[in-house]
Amino acid sequence: MKIALHSRRAIALLGIGAMTLGVAACGSSSDSAATPAASSSAAPAASSSSSAAATSADSSSAAPAETSSSAAESAAPAGDAVNLTFSTWVPGMDKVVDLWNAKNPKIQVKVSITPNGGSGTYQNFLNGVKAGTAPDLGQIEYDSLANFRVQDALEDISAVPGVKEAKDSFIPWTWGQVDFAGSGGVYAIPQDAGPMAMFYRKDIFDGLGLKPPTTWAEYAEAAAKINAADPTHYITHFSQGDPNWYTGLLWQAGAKLFDNSGDGVKVNLDSDPKAAEVNSYWQDLISKKLVATNLQGFSPELYKAWDDGSIATWISAAWGYSTIRDNAPAGAGKWAVAPMPQWTAGGNAAGNWGGSSTAVLKGSKHVAEAAQFAIWLNTDPEALTMGNKLGGLYPAAVAGAELPALKEGVAFYGDQKIFDVFNEASKGVDASFQWGPTMTDTYNAIKDGVAATLGGTSTLADAFKLAQEKTVASLEAQAIPVVK
Amino acid sequence: MTTTAADVSAGLAPAPSTKSRSGPGKWQPWLFLFPFLIPFVLFYVAPIAYAFYQSLFKIERTGGIFGKPSQVFAGLSQYASVFSDQDFRASILRVLVFGIVQIPVMLLISLGLALLLDSTLVYFKRFLRISFFVPYGVPGVIAAIMWGFIYSPNLSPIVALLNKLNISIDFLGTHVVLWSIANVVTWTYAGYNMLIIYSALLSIPQEIFEAARLDGASNWDIARRIKIPSVAPALVLTGVFSIIGTLQLFTEAKVFTNISTAITSSYTPNLVVLAKAQNNYNQSAALSVTLAVGTFILSFLFLKLTNRRAGA
Repeated sequence: MKIALHSRRAIALLGIGAMTLGVAACGSSSDSAATPAASSSAAPAASSSSSAAATSADSSSAAPAETSSSAAESAAPAGDAVNLTFSTWVPGMDKVVDLWNAKNPKIQVKVSITPNGGSGTYQNFLNGVKAGTAPDLGQIEYDSLANFRVQDALEDISAVPGVKEAKDSFIPWTWGQVDFAGSGGVYAIPQDAGPMAMFYRKDIFDGLGLKPPTTWAEYAEAAAKINAADPTHYITHFSQGDPNWYTGLLWQAGAKLFDNSGDGVKVNLDSDPKAAEVNSYWQDLISKKLVATNLQGFSPELYKAWDDGSIATWISAAWGYSTIRDNAPAGAGKWAVAPMPQWTAGGNAAGNWGGSSTAVLKGSKHVAEAAQFAIWLNTDPEALTMGNKLGGLYPAAVAGAELPALKEGVAFYGDQKIFDVFNEASKGVDASFQWGPTMTDTYNAIKDGVAATLGGTSTLADAFKLAQEKTVASLEAQAIPVVK
Repeated sequence: MTTTAADVSAGLAPAPSTKSRSGPGKWQPWLFLFPFLIPFVLFYVAPIAYAFYQSLFKIERTGGIFGKPSQVFAGLSQYASVFSDQDFRASILRVLVFGIVQIPVMLLISLGLALLLDSTLVYFKRFLRISFFVPYGVPGVIAAIMWGFIYSPNLSPIVALLNKLNISIDFLGTHVVLWSIANVVTWTYAGYNMLIIYSALLSIPQEIFEAARLDGASNWDIARRIKIPSVAPALVLTGVFSIIGTLQLFTEAKVFTNISTAITSSYTPNLVVLAKAQNNYNQSAALSVTLAVGTFILSFLFLKLTNRRAGA
């Protein structure tokens, strides 16, 4: 009873506190001018609207200590070890780096495992470059490299001995991504690639007497048959949240979304004829409701649909094999991999989805050593094997195709040697494909447009018209010349 | 009626404190405020000032696409583009519609719960008080993920049940998702607001109720004529919190982007700021400042409006 009375008083006190605040807020205008700002930190959903500014302010305050220490390092006698920092989100990368550290006592690398680029790491890199606290090396996906370059956040490593020579060690299109199709300079070392193929449920295709489609026309026919057999079953889901998946499909078709080779960026999002073809193909499937439109990529709903067989294919990248294996275990032995359906029968064109590079970030005090490490990391057979085993990387190095792990059959796929398919696909990826320098904005616009398309209020063609407008606006806001 | 409210609130905010502020000890409050003021200036005022400073610049570039970028003073031109940003305007409009519906509904629920707890009708008060408040203890992200499962067309037992009853409703569809988010927000904050209102109720002197009963007032009369007017300041306070929270709507929408195709990258003002922050610091700074000022103006107008009513 006493305790109850006590807590009752405490609550009353709390009430008085709250009320005083309320009364103060109701008071004179100068009082209330201060109150909303002060109370917003206590407000329910108050996430600071200036968080971006806060982070950069934070990191700039940390800057002096960091720079002074690395300045001390570079001033140290040449006999001392060089210390490098490396940020990556590949699991197991610390083990690979241990191997390097054991072999190279003079160049010691400290690795930090971060969330993937889009989840904040890119923002941290860019903030760090501004504040002078960025790591020496960072993992950057190909589609973001141009963005990092326009923000002046990458070191040109082409002058470092061994870098230009490394070109032949890599799958040609991956090198095209880091030297910007030979436009002068090298801005990163390719790490992994995401050549695309078709994952499909063999049991479902067999059950309906269907062969895995080899052309997109056959794919559309199969889509109709699968849906006709059971209206809750679809050939695939059309992902709204993965615009880079869709650009992979456009890449396969030979679309050239951007051209960075001239004096300005040429944006072809709404004018490329190949892209228009792909758009109208998928628009047709969406309009006829032959693809699932309410499933987000990498969502529990999708995994369930894979498991219960209501989604029969996934056009995805080499790294996608583990996505299905780990999230839809009921499909063990039922999935298989075939090349991407082709636009022209007998072709071997493939798209690419994802893949990343190891870049030396602007401001590194040891560019040469960092570049040396990046080359080793992505070409040394031992490092590649570990990266593949521990991190699931599909290497960008040509030698990667010879890795034992990539020559074996994969149990989940009925012991099919699925990487043979991806090796072939890798050869069919167009090397001249380029990304825009403000890709996050472009992706956002495509995502939004696709969302409206899937909601039935827009079309893919409109989505790309919107993406064109927004991309041009965002380029202009960055003072990047646009060729019209 | 309104005089009662004013009297009660005047009694609650101890009047003597204002008098003691004059005199030689004027600096003393500042001494006690010091531990608060230092981090407040460092982590609140300074970032805001920095954001405002950043918003006055724009990027210029020499030497083509990959030329060297430099920041140049641009005056208020970033703000001009903020106001011509259709996505931003649409997002503001969206959260305003959201707030106009969600805030009154939530506060009515909070008030109802508080009155129930305060009435003589309910047993297990302490247990109920905690149960109402518990959702607020669930982190916003977790709450959104949890509700996401309940809304999910393929995983949710509730959707499955509705389907069995031949009701098909897509909680994550274009037209419904905003209200699905409103439901999550209401679920989370109704208990929190309830607690503030409830504490205001507890501090009403019991004699008033006794007097009212002697005059023959029913429970309903007491609630309507004494309790509700007495907690008006608490309702204003929770209203302001809710307005601020609504304009800052972020977590639920951000989490739902992973499960709903209906949420765009510019669904709420904070999502617009986030999207812009990827490529354009200056503009996202201008957006943040605009949003902060807008939030301030709206809360201020709300206070003025409710104040005038209370004073009339």
